[in-house]
Amino acid sequence: MSKMKTYTYFPGCMVPFRLPHFELAARAVLKKLDIELEANPGHACCPEPTTFTGVDFEAWITLAARNVAVSETTGLETLSLCSGCFHTLAVANHMIQEDENLKGRINERLKTVGLKVTGRLIVKNILHVLHGDVGLERIKKEITHPLTGLKFAPHYGCHLVRPLEATHMDDAEQPKWMDDLIEVTGAEVADFEDKMACCGAPIMPSDADKAFTLTADRIEKIRASGADAIIVVCPTCYTQLETQQKKATAKFDPEYSIPVLYLGELLAISMGMKDMVISNARRYHRVKVGPLLEKIGGAA
Amino acid sequence: MVVRRSTSDLAFRNWVLEQPEGETLLRCYQCGRCTSACPVAAIDNSFNPRLFLQKILLADESLAEEQLVWTCLTCEQCEVRCPEHVKIPHLLILAKVRGLVGGNIPQAALDRARAILAGGRIIMVNESMLKTRDKMGLPDLGQPPVDQIASVLKEIGLAKKLENVESVYGGGSNE
Amino acid sequence: MTKTVVVIGAGLAGIQVTQQLTDLGVTVHLIEKESIIGGLATHLGRVFPTGDCALCLDACEELFDGHHRRCQYRSLLTSKKNLKLYTQTEIRSITEVDGKFSLSIKSHPRYVLLDRCVVCLECINVCDVEIPDEYAIRGGTRKAIYRPISQGVPLVPLIDMDHCTQCGKCVEVCGVDAIDLAEKAKTRTIKADALILATGVEEKIPLNLPGYAYSESDDIITQRELARLIDPTGDTDGQVITSSGDAAAKVTMILCAGSRDLEATEYCSQACCTYSLKHANMLRDKEIDVTICYMDLRVQKASNHYLDLAREKGVKFLRGKPDRVVVRNGKPTTIVEDTQTQQRMEIESDIVVLASPLSPLASQSEVLADFLGEYGFALRVVKEGRVYACGTATGPEDIPTSIAEANAIALRVYADLEGGR
Repeated sequence: MSKMKTYTYFPGCMVPFRLPHFELAARAVLKKLDIELEANPGHACCPEPTTFTGVDFEAWITLAARNVAVSETTGLETLSLCSGCFHTLAVANHMIQEDENLKGRINERLKTVGLKVTGRLIVKNILHVLHGDVGLERIKKEITHPLTGLKFAPHYGCHLVRPLEATHMDDAEQPKWMDDLIEVTGAEVADFEDKMACCGAPIMPSDADKAFTLTADRIEKIRASGADAIIVVCPTCYTQLETQQKKATAKFDPEYSIPVLYLGELLAISMGMKDMVISNARRYHRVKVGPLLEKIGGAA
Repeated sequence: MVVRRSTSDLAFRNWVLEQPEGETLLRCYQCGRCTSACPVAAIDNSFNPRLFLQKILLADESLAEEQLVWTCLTCEQCEVRCPEHVKIPHLLILAKVRGLVGGNIPQAALDRARAILAGGRIIMVNESMLKTRDKMGLPDLGQPPVDQIASVLKEIGLAKKLENVESVYGGGSNE
Repeated sequence: MTKTVVVIGAGLAGIQVTQQLTDLGVTVHLIEKESIIGGLATHLGRVFPTGDCALCLDACEELFDGHHRRCQYRSLLTSKKNLKLYTQTEIRSITEVDGKFSLSIKSHPRYVLLDRCVVCLECINVCDVEIPDEYAIRGGTRKAIYRPISQGVPLVPLIDMDHCTQCGKCVEVCGVDAIDLAEKAKTRTIKADALILATGVEEKIPLNLPGYAYSESDDIITQRELARLIDPTGDTDGQVITSSGDAAAKVTMILCAGSRDLEATEYCSQACCTYSLKHANMLRDKEIDVTICYMDLRVQKASNHYLDLAREKGVKFLRGKPDRVVVRNGKPTTIVEDTQTQQRMEIESDIVVLASPLSPLASQSEVLADFLGEYGFALRVVKEGRVYACGTATGPEDIPTSIAEANAIALRVYADLEGGR
């Protein structure tokens, strides 16, 4: 038996409580690849990067740094399944590395709870782990149910990828890592306009109408590519792309529907764990994935 | 006639420049690429990131009171295309921070911030959520250390600030 | 004793510094990697500040005082005794021994002998091979035995052995036995007292420049390519046509496309504002609608009249750096904020022209690496009494500045070598 690798798991709020099927699928896929996730009770909300930053940036980076400091105590690399959490931890970590003043005053605050941040932590998202640490060759070996004949649209989402200096992703405009992972499953990658466009979710609290316009445009362009489903990493993108579809159906087109799948679910299906995905489909997918799963059909 | 409030002491601008990555503001040469790159500007002509930067450069703090700053997606499309790598969404974040006292903040943003301070999470975790995790065989994550959050934020005094803020903004629901 | 200088690069600055030094009695070896001299100017058609044919400029001192001009065709480059021109020649190594340079150079074969050919061009007529012409942008072709441009010096054709079928027709038709299909490359050693880098620049091909979709459409071109399109001797006979063959009615130009950008080229290429204006005026003469998207216009003093003229001729100026060009219904559409009216514009045109930055050619050569500084450009005096540079090898500049610099460096080298006598 090969050796297990362990990452510190940063859970955040959305994935473990609102969308636990993300965590379930990710853990199952990672386990096949000899990876374990270990949560730490010291972690709290990352805090989320789209509104809390604008409430008090100094408080945001202080709380983020506290989470980074907790992670540092584990001595392991940290993996977050949520793009928002990943973005917060990666950006805070980067800013601390770059700004000695900032690091100094944050450490003064962390001292009150017996923590210290050094900036040496390695923060990863699921693409870093799958594409970088595990590698496509290894994943290929686990694909028992190739998804040949299907076409998927990778929606990366902004916070997973940008800013590059903090996220250490492959490209800010034309990222490829999720494309590669879709191809490994035997499926085709859909080519659509504005690959890196935003899902619209961050401005839901401030202007839901504008957010909807952007989301609808996003879905429209993806649908035009003939994709069978949208593949996402981020729980916020997932929620936005799913919930707004109902509204779009009413507004534009009764046929306006395209399933949204979490990357972990896609990999789980191709690794022969379709039953696990089906068991959660009804509860956690607002856009029906049944027909899609049937299309994958006989395979699993 | 509307008399616009202006500050001649550059206080707003100087404050922005002191913040982490705030000095990237000075690299802006107003080429306008950000505005033509911005997906929000594409659907709303009044949202103009280049003009926002101009306001900060001119120390015009009326920007902090504009609801529009909250319709920045933070998608960073402007920053990716900016020839000078100005941290545009971050500079708008700093403008938002300055608007907090005046209540220029969507209600949902305020709710989230209060939830984080009170419970360490942006959402309320209920029994059924915990049960589901258990059923799925996912590990118990325990309670976030709320006391630590309070302790590290003491010097910033955020809890006190939030107590006195009322959103004059309104806006959409949480999520 | 006669001093010897090696000039690297036979563009306008290299030609000029060579003419000056040979007139002063210095022996010059002029080394050019292409098969003809003239460098970037051979691509440009008309050049500023005078609007002359670039190929007829001898870069001579009479250039700016309105007297007669010599053409490269009639230039002294191939007839001066103390001047040796090597085309298709690369420098393989440079060593410094006892205060002298020793250069190993390799000349690739032309397969047509310079001292025999009478330029009757019968060989080109009989060649059956047709391949894309590097100077053409709308699908023009050339033969395997060819002249890159008809006015190029030397005027003698050359054979592109990668495409030659060795059929022998050209050898047969040649009445003066000038073609030698078995000609071999020659390696020589040259000794010199000093080196002058006149290696010049090339226009960057914006293949990977985000936003401007250069690789997605043949109607998104660079200013150099537009110059080929306007050139009456080019493959479109000077007709400005789109990739589908229609006459262009509307052209949008984007200045600083990939320049003054931390992610692309940081510096300003200095000449592009001027040649963009020059091209805009030429397009207006053909009654083509022209919009120029700019951040600020940096026109060199000697060329300010191009700006005045552009305003007179009704070129539209829009202050704003476009974010992107998207191809919609086959037409390039430029998305830009007009920063003066604060309006976001989507401008559909037939052709979009990018003013792509000029980047140094010297940085492509390993043997020159030691002489280069920031961004791959060289200082004018790299090493006192030994290594110098002039023209765009020292940084992007327009033709008048290049020529002035070449003159100044010629005198400086002469004085340094001859001990200021």
